[in-house]
Amino acid sequence: MRQEPFIKAEQLSYRYEEEEGGSPVLHDLSLEIQEGEFVAVLGHNGSGKSTLAKLLNMILIPTRGKLFVAGKDLTDENMTEEELLALRKNIGMVFQNPDNQLVATIVEDDVAFGPENLGVAPEEIRERVNRVLGEVGMLEYAKHEPHRLSGGQKQRIAIAGILAMLPNCIVFDESTAMLDPVGRREVMDAILRLNREKHITIVMITHYMEEAALADRIIVLDEGHVILDGTPSYVFEQEALLKSCGLNIPQCTELIHRLREAGISLPGDCVSPEQCAEMILQSLNLSK
Amino acid sequence: MKSIALGQYYPAQSILHRTDPRMKIILTVLYIVCSFLSKNILSFGLLLLSSLLLVAAGRIPLKIVLRGLRPVLIVLAFTAILNIFWTKGDHLLFGWQFVQIYAEGLYAAVFMMIRITTLIIGTSMLLTYTTTPIALTDALEDLLSPLKKLHVPVHEFAMMMTIALRFIPLLVEETDKIMTAQKARGVDFSTGSLMDRAKALIPVLIPLFVSAFNRAGDLATAMECRCYHGGEGRTRMHVLKLRGADFIPFILVVALGGALVALNLAGIGYTMK
Amino acid sequence: MSEIQLENLSYFHGKDTPYQIQALKNIHLTIPGGKITGLIGHTGSGKSTLVQMLNGLLRPDEGRVLLNGEDIWEKPKNIRSVRFRVGLVMQYPEYQLFEETVAKDIAFGPKNMGLGEEEIRDRVAEAARFAGLESELLEKSPFDLSGGQKRRAAIAGIIAMRPEILVLDEPAAGLDPRGRESIFENIVQYHRESNSTVVIVSHSMEDMARYCDHLVVMNEGEVLMQGDPNTVFSCADRLEEIGLDIPQITKTMLLLKSRGVETEGSIYTVEQALDAMLKLLKN
Repeated sequence: MRQEPFIKAEQLSYRYEEEEGGSPVLHDLSLEIQEGEFVAVLGHNGSGKSTLAKLLNMILIPTRGKLFVAGKDLTDENMTEEELLALRKNIGMVFQNPDNQLVATIVEDDVAFGPENLGVAPEEIRERVNRVLGEVGMLEYAKHEPHRLSGGQKQRIAIAGILAMLPNCIVFDESTAMLDPVGRREVMDAILRLNREKHITIVMITHYMEEAALADRIIVLDEGHVILDGTPSYVFEQEALLKSCGLNIPQCTELIHRLREAGISLPGDCVSPEQCAEMILQSLNLSK
Repeated sequence: MKSIALGQYYPAQSILHRTDPRMKIILTVLYIVCSFLSKNILSFGLLLLSSLLLVAAGRIPLKIVLRGLRPVLIVLAFTAILNIFWTKGDHLLFGWQFVQIYAEGLYAAVFMMIRITTLIIGTSMLLTYTTTPIALTDALEDLLSPLKKLHVPVHEFAMMMTIALRFIPLLVEETDKIMTAQKARGVDFSTGSLMDRAKALIPVLIPLFVSAFNRAGDLATAMECRCYHGGEGRTRMHVLKLRGADFIPFILVVALGGALVALNLAGIGYTMK
Repeated sequence: MSEIQLENLSYFHGKDTPYQIQALKNIHLTIPGGKITGLIGHTGSGKSTLVQMLNGLLRPDEGRVLLNGEDIWEKPKNIRSVRFRVGLVMQYPEYQLFEETVAKDIAFGPKNMGLGEEEIRDRVAEAARFAGLESELLEKSPFDLSGGQKRRAAIAGIIAMRPEILVLDEPAAGLDPRGRESIFENIVQYHRESNSTVVIVSHSMEDMARYCDHLVVMNEGEVLMQGDPNTVFSCADRLEEIGLDIPQITKTMLLLKSRGVETEGSIYTVEQALDAMLKLLKN
């Protein structure tokens, strides 16, 4: 029996009010994301990927179409306050600018903010705060002030703040775009761990191909709808289509493509330098 | 720019640091009353001694406390001069034309200086040096919570305070960055007439406002996503609990008040009205 | 073609306080005239501090900054004129926009230089073209532009001062791949047409390898390496050691090397790798 998808969009459309005449940001977008999946959403700026994130967290309401999270219809107009909070708790959001999402002046107080809003008992909040700070490797910074931390550390605090609400799914809206390479690696490591070890569903909106390559599945948006959907190696095969919507494939994937075009047989998938090196080595050994 | 002392919390392990912040707010009010109870040289002496004891109890280096007084030196000097020259009394010490200095004036000057100094040392020792801004906000929210029944938005004010505390250092940093960027475009902040300098601030203030509004919008969205829905049904991780030990400083300050009143009755030297 | 030389340059953050940190340590460096120089290093390596030395926003505690052989701090009162000659585009420069229209904002620098109205108008048009801003955007409010357009407007504001040297701190930070590429292409084109000296600061080694003629690698307040991309990338293992993100291709080559497959010279683009691999595989 097939499991009910965790996120399901049916012919979803969204149009910003002020641009009544303009084309919708999302149109007829349909997709399904299963529980426990790690999905990267790719697309250039204006492809509608951030709007999708806002729809998922009910910051925006779809103009047309249906959107279900954990079987609940987000477009239901009769939704009660409790149901809304339960949905928001279930699907956390981490945004781009680390400074604009931390509320408190002390790290642990910030992490406590979500559970406090949910009315969790004080002893349990304390226990959760310590646990999630450990999970993102920031326990030793519990008493620090966020503005003295690095970008990657602040983003990990933001993740901890979401984790403390015990969500099933976390949406990352370009959460690495403002970070340096070290910060990006820290945040990516944390995301991968959450998915692999805690089976949290991850929807990661990004425009870094190297990050998307780490996902189970990539969905490419262009002009407000899905143009590609599949495993990283499948998506990276479609080089021409990706380039036409302003995206590049990782350098090592491109190298393998060029080599194949030159008539060299290189079986397998290549989305990382390790795989690329391995494939070239094998081919060298064969030709010897 | 970054060293702006906000709240000036000084981390240390002391009785004052451990005292419940709500109690500290009450103590501060009582201490202010005490400083106004003092009337003569004995009670002012005791008052001064009590403020030094507070510094010791808070384990803050005296040097840092004295440095904190620097901004009010002008006020101190001004009150001293005012009292010396304007207080009339019976014991003329010096008279030349319209300048008349009385012994009472000198007393009043010294007393007022002690009063202001102890006021500042007292409040900063009880509140700013030993209490984090966030604990202070929590305590205020708690103390003012009876006002909620009168529909005073106590929780909202406390939330605003918290957010302001979080964003002030950020905005200070941002001001610095914007000023640097405009300097790179040839703005001169340090020379020219007052008018020129005021004008030079426009390219700083506009971007600062725009960015503050953007941040506010982003933060509102982020808070909503973290299930913020006002103060109703909200719990706190830190629950404030009054312990028996918290009443000891309370008793001490009340005793101080009583002692001051008693000393006033001794009636030695000049007594303030 | 103007060049900058840094002689024995040192700088301390929070000088004479207990928190004093040495941000730059005895830097000796030449920014060659007429070239695109890339400044690489991770956060805290001192590159952003260094950049503010180039146009006199920060004054060195020791050593000298020479612009075409002249010490820029010779007459501290004239430092403002140095800022017009060495234009600095800061990181996330969008926040410097404040005027009613984009055109007025671009004109802000030239106006501070005291230029005539006509001259300013010419420069605004020229700068907008170099920065890749469509002319119909010029009369809009800068706050109505998209993120990428704001970035371009801010860059145009510096180019309009016609600096002899243009310095850009992370000009493509936060943009999508298409935006990144086109900003870099605009910078390269500006460099070719105006024949000026350009300095780009970036984390992205892939971009640096592609667009720069000369690279300077900073680490812990010191210059670790400098030279053309070939020279610098031939020490790719050293770059990786200090925690820099080397291009994927270079990383692949390092992996091959560790497994005993040697490649000649330094390889940092797909084309170079393709040639090298074809040679290997066809032998």
